[in-house]
Amino acid sequence: MIWQFLIRRLFLLLFVFFALTCFAFSLGHLFPGDPLTNFSGISQPSDELLPALVQQYQLEQGYLQQYFAFLSRILQGDWGLSLSSQQPIITELTQVFPATLELVAYALLISFVVGVPLGLIAAIKAQHWSGRFISGVAMVGYSVPIFWWALLMIMLFSITLGWLPTSGRISVLFEIPASTGFMLPDIMLSKQPYWQAAMIDALRHLLLPALVLATFPTTVMIRFTRDAMLGVWQQSYIKTARAKGLSRSQVLYRHGLRNAMMPVLRQLGLQFSTLVTLAMITELIFSWPGIGLWLLDSINQRNYPAIQGGLLVISTLVIMVNILMDILHTLLNPLARKQFNG
Amino acid sequence: MVKFHWLHSKAEHGPLYQLWSVFRQQHAAVLGLILFCFFALTALLGPLITPYDPYLQNPDALLVPPSWDEQGQVRFLLGTDDLGRDVLSRLIKGASYTFGIAIITVLGAMILGLLLGVLAGMSKGFRASAFNHMLDLALTIPSLLLAIIIVAILGPGLINTIWAIMLALLPQFVHGIRNAIQQQLEQDYVIAYRLDGANQLQILRNVVLPNIWEQLTILFSMALSTAILDIAALGFLGLGAQSPAAEWGVMVADALDLIYLAPWSIALPGLLIFVAVLSVNLVSDGLRAAIRKRQES
Repeated sequence: MIWQFLIRRLFLLLFVFFALTCFAFSLGHLFPGDPLTNFSGISQPSDELLPALVQQYQLEQGYLQQYFAFLSRILQGDWGLSLSSQQPIITELTQVFPATLELVAYALLISFVVGVPLGLIAAIKAQHWSGRFISGVAMVGYSVPIFWWALLMIMLFSITLGWLPTSGRISVLFEIPASTGFMLPDIMLSKQPYWQAAMIDALRHLLLPALVLATFPTTVMIRFTRDAMLGVWQQSYIKTARAKGLSRSQVLYRHGLRNAMMPVLRQLGLQFSTLVTLAMITELIFSWPGIGLWLLDSINQRNYPAIQGGLLVISTLVIMVNILMDILHTLLNPLARKQFNG
Repeated sequence: MVKFHWLHSKAEHGPLYQLWSVFRQQHAAVLGLILFCFFALTALLGPLITPYDPYLQNPDALLVPPSWDEQGQVRFLLGTDDLGRDVLSRLIKGASYTFGIAIITVLGAMILGLLLGVLAGMSKGFRASAFNHMLDLALTIPSLLLAIIIVAILGPGLINTIWAIMLALLPQFVHGIRNAIQQQLEQDYVIAYRLDGANQLQILRNVVLPNIWEQLTILFSMALSTAILDIAALGFLGLGAQSPAAEWGVMVADALDLIYLAPWSIALPGLLIFVAVLSVNLVSDGLRAAIRKRQES
C-alpha cells in the first residue's frame, strides 16, 4: 500500500518536473527579444557561431524538437551563459544557491525552536493573559511586511546601537575558500589560524537576516501549533489518558504534542514556498549573496537566461520540499494513510 | 451560553444578523473592522482630502520632520520627503494605491475563481482529477514568486502587477471554492433536492451558492492581506508601481537612501502597510471564529 503511494508521488513529481521544464522552455520564447539569445545568453553570436548554435538549439525545427533539445541541455548541465557576466549560469547558481539554503535553514530552525513551545503555551493557557499575549504577538508578526521589519531592525540594531553589521555574509577581511558553499562549515574546513574570529564574524552577519526571516515562519508555527493543540485537546483519547491517571504533562507530551505536530509538519511544507519568497526580499535588504538577490538583479538587468535558470531551481526546490513533507507526513501519520487508501 | 426566549428566539433572525451578533463580541475583530472601514474610506475619498497635491514639490521645505519634532512645521503634519512633498498627502494617496488596488485585484480574482471553482466543483472523474493536480502544482508556488515571474515576462509596472497578483491569487480561490462546493454537495439536503428532480444548475443556484458565502468572505479576507503585502513588496522591489507614484512600498524604497537622515520617511509608510494588513487579518480571524460559533449553535 505504501509503495503504491510512493509510486503515485513519484509520478506526480515527474509530471511536475515536466510542467516546470515546459514552462521554463516557453519563457525563452515569451521573453522579449531573440529566443536564441534568451536560451544561450550570447547576445551577438558571430557568423561562424550562429549556424552551430541554431543547430544545437534546434531553432529551425518545431517547438517539440526545441523542447527536447532544451531538456537534454538542462540535464547535461548546459544552462547557457549569463547575459551580464558571460559566466555559465550553472556555475553562478552553485555559488549563490547554498547561501540561500543556509539562511532558510537557520530561519526554519529558529522558528521551530521558538514557535512550537510558544504555540503550546498559547494553547494550554488559552484563556490566561500569557496565552492571549502570545496569540496577539503572533498576529502582529503575521501581518508585518518583511521589508519594513528588516529595515526597522537595521535602524535599531545596526544604526542606533551599532551592534550588528548590515550586509553580506562575512567581513571582507576574512578569506574563506568555498568548498561546500555553506559559510559555517567552510570556515571549519578552512583551517585558517583566524577561523574562530571568522566564525564569530559570520555569526554576527547571520544573526539579523536569520531573525528577520524567521519572524514569519515562527508566527505561522505558533498559530498552527496552537490551533492543532486546541483541536487535539478536545479529543476523547486525551480524556481517556487523563482518566487513566496520567499527569497533565505526561498527557501533553505523549498524547497531545505528537498528534498536534502532524498538521504543523504539513503546514511546514506548505509554508516553505512563502519562506523562499521572503528569503529573496531579505537577501535584497541585507545584500546576502543568495539566489534571491541574484534573481532580482537578473530581473532588473533583463538577464533572461539567468531568470530562466533561477526560476527552474527555486520552483524545483519548493516542489521537492513539498512532496518530501507530504511523504513524511503520510509515513508518520497512519490516519493520512487510511484516508489515502480509503 | 444558552438563553431561553419565549417570543424572540435567535433563529428568527437571518444568518447575517446571527453572524454579526457573534462577531461584535470580539473586541479585536471589531477594532480591525473599524480600521478596515477607515482605510477603505481613505482609499475612496483619497484625492478629496489630501491637504496638498501629493506630487507637489516644495523646494523651500525639504526633509521637514513630523510636526511633533522641534524642527517640524504644523503645515506639514507628518513632514516632507527629500523633494519637499508632503508625506501626509502622499500617505493618503497611497491608501488608494496599495489598499484600493488590492481590493480591486482580489475582487477580480474572486470572480474568476468563482467561475473556475464552480466548474471544478461540479465536475467529476478524470477531468476533476487532472484539474486538482494542476491546482496543487500552482498552489505550491507562492503568490509573490508567481507575481515576480509574471512581472519578469510582462515587464515592471502597476497594471502588470495587478494582472500578476490576480493570476497568482487565482489558485487559492479555485481551490477553496471547489472544496466548499464539494462539501455542500455531500450534504443530505442536496441529495434530497436532487431526489426532488433538481438539475445541476438549480442545485448550484438555490442550494450551493447561498451556503458558501461565508467561506467566500474568509477566502476574500485572506487573499486581501496577501494582496496588500504583495503589491507593497513588488513596489518595494521596483517591479510594481514605479517611483513617483505614492504607493506605500515604493515610498519605503524611495526613502532607503534617507535611512540616516529621515528615518520617519521609512517608518510611516511601512507602519501603514502593517496596520492595513493587521486590520484585514483581525477581521479575517474574527469572521472565522464567528462562523464556527454560528455553525455550532
